[in-house]
Amino acid sequence: MSAIYGMRKRKPRPHPCAWFVFNMLLISMAHLILAGCSSWQVPPQADDANLRDRSVTEVVKGVRIRAAVLSSEDSLQMFGVNISETGVQPVWVEVENTTQQLLWLLRSGTDPDIFSPLEVAWSFHETFSGETNTRLDDHFDAMGFQNPIAPGTTQSGIIFTNPHQQTKFLNVDILGEGQIFPFTLFPPVPDETPDRQVIAIVERFAAAVAEDYQEIETFRARLEQLPCCSTNADGTETGDPVNAIIIGEFADIVAALVRRGFRRLELDVDNVQRLFGRIPDAVARKAGQGGVPANWLRMWLAPFHYQGQPVFLVQTGRPVGGRFKAPDSEALILHPNVDEARNILVQDMLYSGGLGKLAYISGVSVASPEAPRSSLDDTSYYTDGLRAVMFFQARPLALSDIEIIDWEPYLQQRESAALKENAHGNTEN
Amino acid sequence: MIRVFRTTSANIIISLTLVLAVVGCSPISPRSETGALDYTSQVITRVDGDVSVSASVLSADQSQAVYGVNLAKKGIQPVWIEVENGDDVAYWLMSPGLDPNFFPASEAADAFASKHESESSAALTSHFEALAFRNPIPPGKTVSGFILTNLHEGLKMVHLDLVASGYFKSFSFLSTVPGFRSDYRERKIFQEQVYAENEITDYTDEASFRDALEALPCCVTNKDASRNGDPLNLVVVGGVDDAFPALVRRGWSPTEQTWSGSVLKMISSVLSGERYPYAPVSPLYLFGRPQDLALQKARDNIHQRNHLRLWLSPMRYQGKTVWIGQVSRDIGTRLTIHSPYLTTHKIDPDVDEARTALMEDMVYSQSMVKLGLVKGVGAAAKDSPRGNLTTDPYYTDGFRAVMIFDVHPIALTDIKFLPWESREGGYLERFHTQEQE
Repeated sequence: MSAIYGMRKRKPRPHPCAWFVFNMLLISMAHLILAGCSSWQVPPQADDANLRDRSVTEVVKGVRIRAAVLSSEDSLQMFGVNISETGVQPVWVEVENTTQQLLWLLRSGTDPDIFSPLEVAWSFHETFSGETNTRLDDHFDAMGFQNPIAPGTTQSGIIFTNPHQQTKFLNVDILGEGQIFPFTLFPPVPDETPDRQVIAIVERFAAAVAEDYQEIETFRARLEQLPCCSTNADGTETGDPVNAIIIGEFADIVAALVRRGFRRLELDVDNVQRLFGRIPDAVARKAGQGGVPANWLRMWLAPFHYQGQPVFLVQTGRPVGGRFKAPDSEALILHPNVDEARNILVQDMLYSGGLGKLAYISGVSVASPEAPRSSLDDTSYYTDGLRAVMFFQARPLALSDIEIIDWEPYLQQRESAALKENAHGNTEN
Repeated sequence: MIRVFRTTSANIIISLTLVLAVVGCSPISPRSETGALDYTSQVITRVDGDVSVSASVLSADQSQAVYGVNLAKKGIQPVWIEVENGDDVAYWLMSPGLDPNFFPASEAADAFASKHESESSAALTSHFEALAFRNPIPPGKTVSGFILTNLHEGLKMVHLDLVASGYFKSFSFLSTVPGFRSDYRERKIFQEQVYAENEITDYTDEASFRDALEALPCCVTNKDASRNGDPLNLVVVGGVDDAFPALVRRGWSPTEQTWSGSVLKMISSVLSGERYPYAPVSPLYLFGRPQDLALQKARDNIHQRNHLRLWLSPMRYQGKTVWIGQVSRDIGTRLTIHSPYLTTHKIDPDVDEARTALMEDMVYSQSMVKLGLVKGVGAAAKDSPRGNLTTDPYYTDGFRAVMIFDVHPIALTDIKFLPWESREGGYLERFHTQEQE
């Protein structure tokens, strides 16, 4: 067996104990050198006036949210340390509650892997500085967002999230009594080049005088006419398949993605793919554990609507290697099994509380594992030729509320595929 | 990355000497009880209406036999699942419900792929894909295959969500994993009744249940109950069919037992910052015994994880089992002379934050139907914190969270609040008082 699978030889590693001793000595020395070098002070001007001035805002049923992402300068001014250096993105949020209900901001909805204030403070603790560290903890604690938000009051504070690039996909779920106040805001990320893409989505949608399909059957026919794939910049070569369609308000889609751990992250490799003559309008990645490469989702706004809502063409895939990619390899190469990535996205969205309807539709055309189709950058893929079509809603849904539209005879197709399975192994999860 | 290692240099050197003396630099070799290679011998089956689901969690040896490679070494554990669909609708089996961080077949194959032998890599991928569970499950058909999950040693919570159009079924199993020493092997809790029938009290009304919860001890203790430790800030109402699935869906998993191999593994993990899913959990005591179930939610690496310990209580609420627990957030790892393992988690001293974060996380689990707060922990002010058994300070408002779970999935707007501390004084009252000040 092992001969078939060609096990990779591993480099001999130093004995773990040797590493232990070496690292311990190194840490001890570093601590001794650093001790007494610096002493943290409560910053004199820790107010949030700057943030309020440049905040983005949204009102839903008597609740107003203001939000801004802190720059390194803001962080130094408000915390006396640069929080972004630790891989944490602090976000200022203000909730103004003009309702009669007690409200609660659900931080898990903003980031399933949220950091606590004292967790972030701990990473700035100084050695041999008990008192300083206590002051540091107190300050972070006081600056953190405090629940609940009583009727008629306003609460503001910092929540400590994982970083997004350029524009934050900021989902804020406020829980009331038997209802949710969902917010999706797009505050710019300071210290980075200004982002045109997300603004462009909103502007393009607002400006478009587009066909608006009311009937689901004519809409389906329109979807089937869509191009199979993206192209390269000059349109001479075909790229990755468009293997999903997402219908819904951009904010509702983003909310569902964020709740399932997707973050805004666009890489150069994404911009090789063009649809409608342009690079993707938005790219999100599902956070992999320990900073490993993650599944991606590239979105392009289509030039037509469905019942007044935007329609997005989507490419979803995952890189070869995934969590097991060699640390020295930089490239993100498309894994040829694109259907697997598509079905993982569908399953993830089923848990998001935002997916209302699901269907499959043809349009990519079949490519077998034995005769994979070429894409850009010497990659290739195989597929059953189907696209997942996902309709999003603002209302939070339970798993039992999802309607599956029987468009494509997917079940029959699967059965006939299963018959072929013994001959060759094409799979889905 | 968050900087985490925090202790005095003197402490490090003392602890280092002790660690070296204790572990003796022995190589790591978890004991493997070579059992039958046939995984079908440990299949568990559940039936709901016309749908029957069977599952088997594979040991390291069994997965080697099926896949031909050492999946366990890469932290991967296959779960074999068979769904017999006698219904007239098609179902989809949801891999993220079993493990939110599951491995797609192709990704697991990548772990063994060779850079230089693309043909054998392709054969490997094709082999893995052929073994994978294939959706959907058409009406009247039986489908079986493997889902590749993160490796759990000892005990595995297997939770399967099946989705159909406008319809849903869920199946939950607790399965022991053959081939590993287990935290739970010798525990009565999953084998037989812990409490005799006459020891169990079933509370049917909210008021008496609330009184009983408030009368529980404030904190865990050490083995001989001479010292108090972390606060018991959690009440979970439900069990294998409803509460545990909610935890699994949100990424909680049982921990390995605390034993020397795992201590050494953790130490090397501390140094490398690698994600190691089995940071050991030290035993804490309630009802005269260590935790019945220790769970953790791993985040980016060992330094960032949340811990949850649960004890089955002799109480029932409207027939459901009641678990008393403790939740804390690790914000780092430090060396200590207060634990026989010489390392401990630095916990967030604001323990209410961890409690609240768990409540918020469970709001998204689709299974929590009610939540509230009761007294019973006793407040500890920030400027005069209490200490746990490893001398970590903590402070708290003194409340414990009560979460009631149900099998049927619900949207988060349908979650109800228990009219306890959150309404009539208590928590809210305290909040209003603060506002007026």
